[in-house]
Amino acid sequence: MQPQETQKLKIEDVLREKGVYVGPTVGISMLPMLKNRRDTIVVRPKTARLQPLDVALYKRGDDYVLHRVLSLTDGGYIIRGDNCYANENVPEDTVIGVLTEFFRKDKHILCTDEKYLKYVNKRLKSYKTRRFFVRIKNKIVGIIRKIIKPFRKKKAKTVDR
Amino acid sequence: MKIKDGFVIRQVGGEHVVVPVGERSKEFHGMINMNKTGAFLWNFFSQSHTLEEGVDALCGEYNVEKDVAETDVKRFLDVLQRNGFIE
Repeated sequence: MQPQETQKLKIEDVLREKGVYVGPTVGISMLPMLKNRRDTIVVRPKTARLQPLDVALYKRGDDYVLHRVLSLTDGGYIIRGDNCYANENVPEDTVIGVLTEFFRKDKHILCTDEKYLKYVNKRLKSYKTRRFFVRIKNKIVGIIRKIIKPFRKKKAKTVDR
Repeated sequence: MKIKDGFVIRQVGGEHVVVPVGERSKEFHGMINMNKTGAFLWNFFSQSHTLEEGVDALCGEYNVEKDVAETDVKRFLDVLQRNGFIE
């Protein structure tokens, strides 16, 4: 009945000892599926090579990253977050687990769920369109910044005086 | 007595796990596993209640002797208190 707490945990240790890690999400790279510090992920240890569409938990230095597998390479995977626009080449030995289920707010979703898989396919199909609009948006933001930069400098000089 | 806000309880594979959310997840990085009774008490003390109310609730829910329930609730609250989960 008593709660067993594991403070300052290392996820790989939890996976080894308990066979499952349940924890909060941090970051925006898997939006709109997982919202920062709102949703809960359930990760289980990797028992075989992951497959495209799986969501891998891997280590980047001391950080943990949860991104989607796009394809397999000889020594690892090509991986990208659902809300990211750059692929990453991730070595097999840095992948420690795979997302098997998650809670979106209080809604429990299995990664084998048909509706979820539909979402994943839709998200991947829309990648090029999304990237196109993000690039346009970034260009517009860049142009606006260039336009207002001299005015900002002028304002800063005025304040200095 | 009341458990601090900012935690949710999730049922995964027959186990109950308490997970921090929002601002609380910045300060607490652990994972709290508990059984069905623990989850019942966690939910109960998510609202403000006295020890006696907790004992009565546990007796009502699980049909246990009052002194057994009291020992369990005290031990449960003691762990939470020591780990800073009680307001």
